[in-house]
Amino acid sequence: MSAAARNPRLAVALGVLGLIALVSLGAPWIASHDPRAAEPENQLLEPSGEYLFGTDLLGRDVFSRVVYGGRRTLGVALLTAGITLAPGIAIGLVAGYAGRWLDWALMSVMDALLAFPSLLLALALVTVFGSGVVQIAFAVGIAGIPAYARVVRAAVLEARAVPYVEAARAIGARPAGILARHVVPAIATPLLSFAGVTLSWAILNSAALMFLGYGGDVAAPDWGVMLADGRESFRTGPWVAVAPGVALSLTVFAINLLGNSVAPPPANR
Amino acid sequence: MAFDAGRRQRAPVRIGVLGALLMLFCLMVGVVAVLLLRTDADDSGDNGNRIVYGLTLEPSGFDPHRHISSELGIPLFSVYDTLVYRHPQTMEFVPGLAERWEMAPDGLSWTFYLKQGVTFHDGTPFDAQAVGANLDRVMNPGIGSAKARGLLGPFAGYEIVDPFTIRLNLSEPYAPLLDGLSQVYLGIASPTALASYSNNTYQWHQVGTGPYRVEEIVPGDRIVLTRNDDYAWGPVFYAPVTGQSLDMIEFRFFTDPPTRSLALESGAIQMIGELLPTDTELLVGNPALQIFRVPIAGTPQQFFINTRRSPGDEQSFRQALLYATNRTAIVDAVFQGQSPLAYGPLTAVTPFYDPGVAEKYPFDPDFARGLLQGIGYQDTDSDGVLDRDGAPLELTMVFAPWNQMSDVAQLIQSQWRDIGIDVELIQVPDYPTLAAYAEEGDYDLISLYDFAVEASILNQFYQSDGARNWSGVSDPELDEWLEDAIRTPNQADRAQLYAAIQDRIMEQALVLPIRDYVNLNGASARLDGVIFGAHGWWPLLRNFQLTS
Repeated sequence: MSAAARNPRLAVALGVLGLIALVSLGAPWIASHDPRAAEPENQLLEPSGEYLFGTDLLGRDVFSRVVYGGRRTLGVALLTAGITLAPGIAIGLVAGYAGRWLDWALMSVMDALLAFPSLLLALALVTVFGSGVVQIAFAVGIAGIPAYARVVRAAVLEARAVPYVEAARAIGARPAGILARHVVPAIATPLLSFAGVTLSWAILNSAALMFLGYGGDVAAPDWGVMLADGRESFRTGPWVAVAPGVALSLTVFAINLLGNSVAPPPANR
Repeated sequence: MAFDAGRRQRAPVRIGVLGALLMLFCLMVGVVAVLLLRTDADDSGDNGNRIVYGLTLEPSGFDPHRHISSELGIPLFSVYDTLVYRHPQTMEFVPGLAERWEMAPDGLSWTFYLKQGVTFHDGTPFDAQAVGANLDRVMNPGIGSAKARGLLGPFAGYEIVDPFTIRLNLSEPYAPLLDGLSQVYLGIASPTALASYSNNTYQWHQVGTGPYRVEEIVPGDRIVLTRNDDYAWGPVFYAPVTGQSLDMIEFRFFTDPPTRSLALESGAIQMIGELLPTDTELLVGNPALQIFRVPIAGTPQQFFINTRRSPGDEQSFRQALLYATNRTAIVDAVFQGQSPLAYGPLTAVTPFYDPGVAEKYPFDPDFARGLLQGIGYQDTDSDGVLDRDGAPLELTMVFAPWNQMSDVAQLIQSQWRDIGIDVELIQVPDYPTLAAYAEEGDYDLISLYDFAVEASILNQFYQSDGARNWSGVSDPELDEWLEDAIRTPNQADRAQLYAAIQDRIMEQALVLPIRDYVNLNGASARLDGVIFGAHGWWPLLRNFQLTS
């Protein structure tokens, strides 16, 4: 029996995420209109057979924009998560395993960064980097490193104290070998679980920066940009903001569910 | 135990006392709560006719001598008087703090004869010394005047002829002087107040002679004005005080556009400007509200075309862009048809506007294609984008997001794509970034517009050494006309010069005008007498009446 079937939460999460991934990848075949084609004579039309989710102020098809928007929103989020995870894991491993002054130095820097709310830190960084999707990914990604590094370090500290790791050290195994062979497998589950949280956080924060107009390309279909557009016409055409809002929430919900369902199972299995 | 026994015996009594205390306490809490809430609600009753007026942005500063925002004039135009006023209907100059004035025959000095018996809100008497103190302050480089200093043009000093006569000297004749003196930026402040506060702190303690006095300014939160009951020296267009005149006006900030119509409908505010065009459409049917669409004099919402680099350096190319732009579609979609189309470098309500510009550049994509073909553009590789000498026709358009500019730019991008022009849109967050782009010159089109009743606003944009000559034009004849037009006091001569200037600018296609700026104001239907000064942004609060 597969894991998904035994775990309904996992099944739902994978199902939703799979659907979103499929739609995003297959956007050119699924979208009914050109997501950038403005037809001002069709502005703010209600949802209909022709325009499944209605049209926006410039007469663009909201459905097609949501479908294409997933590509950009999720692409940026994946890049962001990568930028957070790689240095986050490295710093956490080194600090947790090496201990002493290196741990102290690394964690002091991380704590200083943690003092800023991550979205504010990302905002500050993106004003330095300038507008654009890659800039957003770096800004949000870097802002997320401290939290991830802390979680990794905590897990490493726990794993380091386990007798077989102590034993490995006692027989003189090299630190890199111990980290790779013993520590990393031991902390894989919490790491994975927190990676899910990081990803959903990356989606929300990068969408927030897009919403604030740091995405560069104002015409690009993107859930954050669409939310911002939709706000201006919310009273005449609520669907413009609701559609990308639902897509965004659904994605974050599914990722969080995924993170929860891979969390350590109850001890009494 | 005794204690236990006692409690059992006296239990009913004790509960009674405790209960009574508890009930009393609850009652007191309730009364206090009601009192707290009532003080809030009672403000409107106790203070007579009171309205809340929504401001749409928090200016970087509120000192009219130093700061530039049009928004600051919404409260402050009623706090200060100016030496002269422009009549809101005729646009002619009428007496303000000066009861009359005359220009020397050589145009190099202006003498202002001041009203007597005028006092500032702090009791300081108004006289020529007070005007002098204000001119000194504005001219002092230390205060860093962003706007007021420029309005004085070639100002070269003043002489106090007698206690109520002051002469302003100029280094060369300057026709726009009176217009400058009629703006809030040159409002006359109390010399006592100016001396009591620093250049920076004065903005929170402003004292003028106007129909309303500043009660308090809480930065970022509110500005409260109360009526100046001593006011008896207003310009001819100020209405007399009635029982329905406003006693108190509280200004609060609604910087987020979608919140404005909601605040108005909920009754949280009685008046606000800069409503979203789509929201305005919704409010039109509401009997409790009224809409005022106020056209603003100055330049339209527009893009300058960079003539310093290819392909914007070719006149035919620039003209092709104008023919390729469907302004009607843009105004209908983005501004819900609530703004006039713009045709030239000045909006239609600006004095000296030349209606001749309206005939140029109708939307004609085929003609635009022909023009582009004429200068060698063809789609040789059939990718939908025109090319010349192997290079595709790609343009960079830079703009800030104010006033739905992003929507405008996206529609232009889509319209021009139809005739084979590829446009990259660059949205910048603020004016400094926009100005930095202009400095570097890395753009083909850039958006910039400004407001003024004086056509001389064109100088900064179209003189070859203009401060914001972002189209990069360098036309000796145009320079000469622009210079002459601010030197000659003769209205007919000025009109002729400005007609020639507007014609030249459009013939050269230096600018892509989109729409005349219109401030969409919403107000409670209870407000009567809503009227704005000649400059469009600033309400004449003196004339507002609150009916029941």
